[in-house]
Amino acid sequence: MALYCLGMLQAHSLLWHYLWVAPSVLLLTLGFGLWRLRVHRQHPFFLVFVLASAVEQLTLYVLDITPSVEPETWWRFFWAGLILEGILKFALLAEVFAHAFRPYPAIATLGKRLIGMVGVLLIFASSMAAAFAPLDSLFGIVSGAHLLQQTIYIIECGILVSIFGFSSYFRIGMPSADRGIALGLSLSACVHLATCALVANTSLPDDSRVVLDFINMAIFHFCVLMWIYYLLVPRRASEMTAVIALPENNLALWNRELERLLQ
Amino acid sequence: MILAIILVVAAALALIFILSITVSRSLQVSNRSLAGAIQPLDLEAFRNLTDAAEDEYLRRRLRPADFRSVRRERLRAMAAYVQVAGRNATVLVRIGQSALAANDSETAEAAHQLVDQALLMRRNATFALVKIYVALAWPNSGFAAKPIVVGYQQLSGSAMLLGRLQNPAVPVRIFAGM
Repeated sequence: MALYCLGMLQAHSLLWHYLWVAPSVLLLTLGFGLWRLRVHRQHPFFLVFVLASAVEQLTLYVLDITPSVEPETWWRFFWAGLILEGILKFALLAEVFAHAFRPYPAIATLGKRLIGMVGVLLIFASSMAAAFAPLDSLFGIVSGAHLLQQTIYIIECGILVSIFGFSSYFRIGMPSADRGIALGLSLSACVHLATCALVANTSLPDDSRVVLDFINMAIFHFCVLMWIYYLLVPRRASEMTAVIALPENNLALWNRELERLLQ
Repeated sequence: MILAIILVVAAALALIFILSITVSRSLQVSNRSLAGAIQPLDLEAFRNLTDAAEDEYLRRRLRPADFRSVRRERLRAMAAYVQVAGRNATVLVRIGQSALAANDSETAEAAHQLVDQALLMRRNATFALVKIYVALAWPNSGFAAKPIVVGYQQLSGSAMLLGRLQNPAVPVRIFAGM
């Protein structure tokens, strides 16, 4: 997902084709699995995100290998996919947040406010980063796409860090599926942000850009496998949280203390 | 180039942060040893520290400079109590979460209450710590942590109920320290 476009219309290795197509095929499989296991009812935005990402990437791939497609047409499709993907990602983050914190009214509102404030700060920070980035006037559509990617990834990374940080501070255990989704999104977003920042803000030679593309594609492939593991592989009973009883000695100690307090 | 470096470093730090949280969660100590992690806390002493009348008495009896010094000491002690209360609340969150999966609906409900109140306690403890540190800078300002005491008592009640439901054989009555 992301920078494959850099080497567009060039002869690619077999690995390149595999890394571009395989994650999309796996995403379609994941979507089918989610539907079949009825997991999509709990994660509707994730299903939409999975299917949309797969269709987007396959469309871009077909456009990339079709000789008659003009580069500008390819980039227009890329822009449309990027905007759709960005919107879906933020809806997905909201879904993960709701699953993680809605069961706990004591901190749900605080979490919402915190994420809201962080979101505003991130929009400001990403706008500043975009404003200071060098803009290529000759290929504005290309550099603009990279800046939009960078903006989306900055906000996505920041919100994910906030969600993980907030849940860690309050020791809230995220549901396994949501943890998997968030972890995959985090890995993908952080790596893509780093590579995107290099592409958008430096003048890297083509060879280096191709390496970054490979890194992005490989990481995304890994993330898709991670999602499949977390969402389709059934959890073993031993992984379920064991119900524990409070130890007797502590309870007795607490009893004594409060009795003294109540006297 | 500087912007690229900043963003790359930020992305790396974000990833390390997220992965460290995920890994530390999976390496957390066994649930069974959790209750032992709860530190006893003297609620009465804490009440004394947060008593506005006590502060007022000290203010009247001591010279302003001495009062500020004593007040700062009391605030530091208060902060220590609140930190322990906050840590205990997080332990109770984990204990409660482990009990949420119980088949018994009564236990699950008690666990839910415990988790919710422990989270409230953790949140209040965080805010209280901020207030205490602000008060440390201005020791003459009035400050009372009454909601913490009330929250702490409610939390103790929920933990007691959960303990009773999970261990009916144990003669649980009431507890004060956590």
